[in-house]
Amino acid sequence: MASAEVVSSFVQGTPPGELKEVVQSIQALTSDGDPSLLQHPKVKAAFQNYNESQLVCAKLSGGSQHVLVSPYNRLEGNKYYDTTTSTSFTFDHTTQKASNPQSYTHDSTNNDLISSIQKSLATHVAEHYPAQSSAAAGSAYTVASPSETPTEIAILISATKASPQNFVSGRWRTTLLYNTGSRTLTGTIAAQVHYYEDGNVALNTTKQVSENNVGDSGSEIVRVLAKLEKQYQEEVNRALVGMNEGSFRGLRRQLPVTRQRIEWEKIRGYGLSDNLKGNK
Amino acid sequence: MSADTQLDAALDLLRRLSPLEIKQNLAKITQLVPDIQEDLLSAVDQPLEVARCKKTGRDYLLCDYNRDGDSFRSPWSNEFDPPIDDAAYPSDRVRRMEVEANEAFTVYRSLYYEGGIGSVYLWDQDDGFAGVVLLKKESGRGEDTAGWDSIHVVEVDERGKTSKSAHYKLTSTVILHLGKDNDAVGNLTLAGSLTRQVESDLAIESIGSLGRDGGHVANIGRLVEDMEGKMRNQLQEVYFGKAKDVVGDLRSVASLGQVEQDRRTQREVFQSMSGK
Repeated sequence: MASAEVVSSFVQGTPPGELKEVVQSIQALTSDGDPSLLQHPKVKAAFQNYNESQLVCAKLSGGSQHVLVSPYNRLEGNKYYDTTTSTSFTFDHTTQKASNPQSYTHDSTNNDLISSIQKSLATHVAEHYPAQSSAAAGSAYTVASPSETPTEIAILISATKASPQNFVSGRWRTTLLYNTGSRTLTGTIAAQVHYYEDGNVALNTTKQVSENNVGDSGSEIVRVLAKLEKQYQEEVNRALVGMNEGSFRGLRRQLPVTRQRIEWEKIRGYGLSDNLKGNK
Repeated sequence: MSADTQLDAALDLLRRLSPLEIKQNLAKITQLVPDIQEDLLSAVDQPLEVARCKKTGRDYLLCDYNRDGDSFRSPWSNEFDPPIDDAAYPSDRVRRMEVEANEAFTVYRSLYYEGGIGSVYLWDQDDGFAGVVLLKKESGRGEDTAGWDSIHVVEVDERGKTSKSAHYKLTSTVILHLGKDNDAVGNLTLAGSLTRQVESDLAIESIGSLGRDGGHVANIGRLVEDMEGKMRNQLQEVYFGKAKDVVGDLRSVASLGQVEQDRRTQREVFQSMSGK
């Protein structure tokens, strides 16, 4: 594996809201050997790929609104558009900053439906996505219509929490495609959590979702999206509770069956059978 | 850039990148900076690998502490596999404690883990001795997978003012991974490790045929039992409590309007009850 590929894989594996720290560590590691490694075309592509697949959001310079980047709302180069704020903007994939906002109306045959989804989505996001406070955190949503696939409307929601002082970060992503022909809603919902105080613990979960016979109004589409999100979040919570009571408990007991701690001075007298000790 | 700065950067990366890919990421980092390989390998805990003792047929665990070149020492036979000529063994005294500790922790493992594999390795040091207690258990049932690796490194300083007590320093890491894959939740992994440290001066009793050395084994046993109990609680809190809380911070299952409404009602009830 070439150095550029190694560095790319580190970028792609960055936990939510921690890109700055990962880049700093990569710089410290590679400055002797190849200080220009972060400028390598492969590595630059990895930054873009990471930000787009993670639906990374940023506060638009000069405004209070957050915008997100994805493969669906990209114009050309580092330019993206946002139908919520009717702006285009430039995104720096290394620093994750959105700048140069300009008034922009996306030209699509689905403009009416897009603005109808938009309205319902605004209410849904306000109802379920709490405001995030720190600099590297935030939530954003957008509805996009890639010009190469005119029958598809991308509905994207992303929320990032980053609390370095508490060594915690997290990200929620909803990436759904509505097909105007088949009236289906398909895509993924994903949640990640990273906890790194005297350790490194990561929750990573993704679910493929698909729903047929979705209505063709904005409110109907967002109603199904809300249902899918709710189901998924409840299943994640259920899985965590189930693991706590199941797999986790099965690994190591809290106390021996006797409910007493070991008397180490008498341990030779515990008289377990060889079978129980695991002796063959 | 100094080697220390590079080592710090490597450790920072490893504490951020996926805990399920420690081994691969270690290899990638040492590819970028070969000079820090040895330091990095001794500073980073990885899931333990298992080997079978050729002489006794019992399984044992592999780590940096029972490795010499490409050979590993079995705690059951005290022999290296593959055999090597000039291997370093523990002194007779430390080996006797090692045998005792392996017996004791086999009991411990059967009581707390009800299965799994364990190994204890001890070695001599100028001011006393040191050791590592390793415990491993894995399970996989259908859509669920789970694994636990405990790595307890203990240093015993016997230079104290009196011979009645010694200073113990314990550094413990537990690597825990849990996974679920089904239609309801999709693919879910919850993995990682926590590291904790404790130091204490403990009196040494005389226990069994090893006398005061038997007391050392008991002291190490109590320290490890206490630490694992605490870490199990912390893991439970971080893995299940914290993970769920953070997901809830990102997205609220209940409507935020409703949550606010409930809060307001609660406040009003409280205020009317306190007569304000």
